[in-house]
Amino acid sequence: MMRAVLFSMLMLVVGCADRAQKSVEPLGPSIYPINASLVDQRGARVGLDVDRGHPVIIAMFYGSCPSVCPLILSDVKRIDAMLPAKVRDDARVLLVSFDGEHDTPAELARIARERGIDGNRFTLASGSDDDVRTIAAALGVTYRALPEGGFSHDYLVTTLDREGRPTARIDHAGADVTPLVSALSRSQP
Amino acid sequence: MIAAGRGAVVVAIGAGTYRPLFPPSPNEAQIAVAAFSMDKTPATNAELLAFVKAHPEWRRDRIARIFAEPTYLTHWASADALGDAKPDQPALNVSWFAARAYCSSRGMRLPTEAEWEHAAAASNTSADGANDGAWRAEILSVYSRPSPQVLPSVGGKTNFWGVSDLHGLVWEWVVDFGNATSAFASGADRMRFCGATAAGASDATDFAAFERVAFRTSLHASYAMKNLGFRCAR
Repeated sequence: MMRAVLFSMLMLVVGCADRAQKSVEPLGPSIYPINASLVDQRGARVGLDVDRGHPVIIAMFYGSCPSVCPLILSDVKRIDAMLPAKVRDDARVLLVSFDGEHDTPAELARIARERGIDGNRFTLASGSDDDVRTIAAALGVTYRALPEGGFSHDYLVTTLDREGRPTARIDHAGADVTPLVSALSRSQP
Repeated sequence: MIAAGRGAVVVAIGAGTYRPLFPPSPNEAQIAVAAFSMDKTPATNAELLAFVKAHPEWRRDRIARIFAEPTYLTHWASADALGDAKPDQPALNVSWFAARAYCSSRGMRLPTEAEWEHAAAASNTSADGANDGAWRAEILSVYSRPSPQVLPSVGGKTNFWGVSDLHGLVWEWVVDFGNATSAFASGADRMRFCGATAAGASDATDFAAFERVAFRTSLHASYAMKNLGFRCAR
């Protein structure tokens, strides 16, 4: 009896460990078929799939945003900092601006500097209104330009697997970020 | 009226003001709408068929899943044949992504919510039917009618601008359909979204407009629904 209990406990532990290592189940289809033409903080033309082959944290923001965007940026940095070193080296971050008019490459570079963002693994990018609308719709971010300037928009941070399929999301500041950390860590090569 | 490609007729709509039923902020109680043009009728099956033949990446058997759910164009006999679907019936089961791609292929775009609502606010005789009791009663009866067994062809009665089928045929995509749910946290937006009663509405008697807001807020860009079509603007 005791042996049977111990054995089943052992199986449970092994089972959990096995599940934890399995690659993460995507929540939906890849966003990489979207053919967007963005410009990054280095002035380079990049597609939405600039980080194809890597696990990715993607979020939308705009530079002059007074409230929600600083939270999004700091949460993204916090999630990135929580990753095990090996996972972090492989992970990439893509931050897409709503504000193609003001968030020029120079402005994006300034934001990156000011926020101490790792330029090797982080891409800040902006694009045409059409492309931004397409990306937002695919991610499920709703937003609108405000008459007084700026944008009203959702808080959304999404992780993508190596092929651009969403694997986890948080939709408000202060949410538990462990599902994102776990999804990135379990994005098998 | 200006004739456009594939026989579609595009109609000029004069400038005006759109008053959202649930203004998302005090600065947005009145939204100026510049003059624009829009299709006289919703896009038809025949027009969508020509589009997917010219742009096969939008065929139902080739479209990337991110751009449309599996119901996309399923009312056709096959990926490139209408079958029982009539050429001049409105194209349904079309996602927002596909609708935008179709409009873009014609050098056009989807109308904004403000543009669509401005065009749809016209009665048969006036640019603003808000104070026309008979017209409003007619619209309300249109919205409360059950869907017909066989979907009519496009090209019903025209309104003041010469536009047909804005009410009663099918729901239509607008480019910013998700506007209403943005910034959920703010009280004004919650009012707009959660107004299960029309409490807080700028015009509590406009049930048809309320239905449209409620419908739009429920959408996702990949949805392909049997009662949802679209028309293009520019």
